[in-house]
Amino acid sequence: MLELNDITSFYGKTPIIQNVSLEVPEGKCLCILGRNGVGKTTLLQTIMGLTTRMTGKMMINGEDVSAQPTHLRANAGLGYVPQGRRVLGKFTVRENILLGTFARKDDNRAIPDSCLEMFPYLADNLEKRAGLLSGGQQQQLAIARALATDPQILLLDEPTEGIQPNIVAEIEASLMRLNKELGITLILTEQHITIAKKMSDLYLFMDIGRVANHGKTKDLNDKLIQKYLSI
Amino acid sequence: MSVHDFWTPFSLLPFLNALIIGISLASIWLIAALGLAIIYGTMGVINMAHGELIMLGAYTTYVFQSLVGVPFLICLPLAFFVVAAIGWVIERGVIRTLYTRPLDTLLATWGLSLILIQSVRLIFGGEPQYVGVPSWLNFQIDASFVHLSGLRLFIVLMAIILVTLTWYILYRTTLGIRVRAVMQDKEMAASFGIDANRVYSLTFAYGAGLAGAAGAMFGALKTLFPDMGSAYVVEAFLVVVVGGIGLIGSVFSSALLGELNSVFSYFTNDTFARFVLFTLVVVFLRFRPQGIISEGMGRR
Repeated sequence: MLELNDITSFYGKTPIIQNVSLEVPEGKCLCILGRNGVGKTTLLQTIMGLTTRMTGKMMINGEDVSAQPTHLRANAGLGYVPQGRRVLGKFTVRENILLGTFARKDDNRAIPDSCLEMFPYLADNLEKRAGLLSGGQQQQLAIARALATDPQILLLDEPTEGIQPNIVAEIEASLMRLNKELGITLILTEQHITIAKKMSDLYLFMDIGRVANHGKTKDLNDKLIQKYLSI
Repeated sequence: MSVHDFWTPFSLLPFLNALIIGISLASIWLIAALGLAIIYGTMGVINMAHGELIMLGAYTTYVFQSLVGVPFLICLPLAFFVVAAIGWVIERGVIRTLYTRPLDTLLATWGLSLILIQSVRLIFGGEPQYVGVPSWLNFQIDASFVHLSGLRLFIVLMAIILVTLTWYILYRTTLGIRVRAVMQDKEMAASFGIDANRVYSLTFAYGAGLAGAAGAMFGALKTLFPDMGSAYVVEAFLVVVVGGIGLIGSVFSSALLGELNSVFSYFTNDTFARFVLFTLVVVFLRFRPQGIISEGMGRR
């Protein structure tokens, strides 16, 4: 369960996200929607503690993490799949997944079987340098790395951006499985409304750093989509 | 002065000895540069006080050896840990507040170096001090073309040990993975539970400790002055700049520079060799500013 209460977040001295409140119950999937540049990525970065500063209150499973730096938030149960994947190119696939285990609560440094089972390509190429993987493979690695943290809440920033369609379906399927079978709470940003409708329980529209509208995905209608997504 | 006085003609055995002196020189420069390279490579901090950390290592050894009576071999790790502790304090107190302002770091560490020099001068006075070479290192190898003192041989061995140790920590331990993760992408490392600030503190302390150990050896090699650090820091910077990123770069560049210096000074003299070396480095950097080993090159 993730709660944000009146969060304002800054890059330098400029507030980018303003007075955002949201609540994602355990095991649900929230999709953050909005046009380019409205602050979707910054909202996820704020949750990870990667912006310069934030005010307001943020709770993970009832634990107040508002004042915690990034690495402690990761320890508290957040897994992060950032925009552009940002796998460590000089590390091997194995080392990248191993990096994820540093955020675990237990000190288990073994690569979880579930990661390898879900992404067989990675399992076969553990010693390959991550920089040599294709975009789709890097995205799978980024998800595997986040899963290795044993997260309760997984933040995904445009997980299907710039990836060929057959891999998109594959990634979509694995995310659904994480959410429905393993009960991991998902928060993702998305441009494709079809994917959002298919995967999420809740939606949230952003507009210029604020929450413009939110609700249950089944209540999402074309009028809202027209209002907040069309250019 | 005739050309003949200036130019020593080639003859095999003395030339081979010059190559061996080159190795000795390379090992000294490498030891001096190692801490600097680690700190620069990991944190992007150019530590102008590096020479003074070497100096502090030398004085630490002097204090423990002459005033307390600790044997030289024990002084080495002591110098490492004392200077590492000083480095840790410097990182916490000065460098940490300046990560987003690299130019200010340059200025701050330079100011720090002046403070350290004056402090040592106030405590120990300006006159030279000495670190005694232990008797078991007081031998000289004189076999055909090899002329090398025991201490210099010891320094070559220590260079190999320190480089191996550093390589092992960086590439074979979990701490090393943390350090390399922070090097590549600090935000991502933090997003996966790595405390980047702690990694920086430890790295700076380790780099400072290496400078301390270097100082212990250089103290035995030469006399101790409060401003002795400046004699080593130029070569240390040369090694780092020519080497580029990483341990391997520093090893290659120190070997190259040490040998070149030694060969040129065999044919001419020390001063002229230094002049040629500096010129070559400038020309080299004109064509390859990123150094021998650069960011984009593969390690595997």
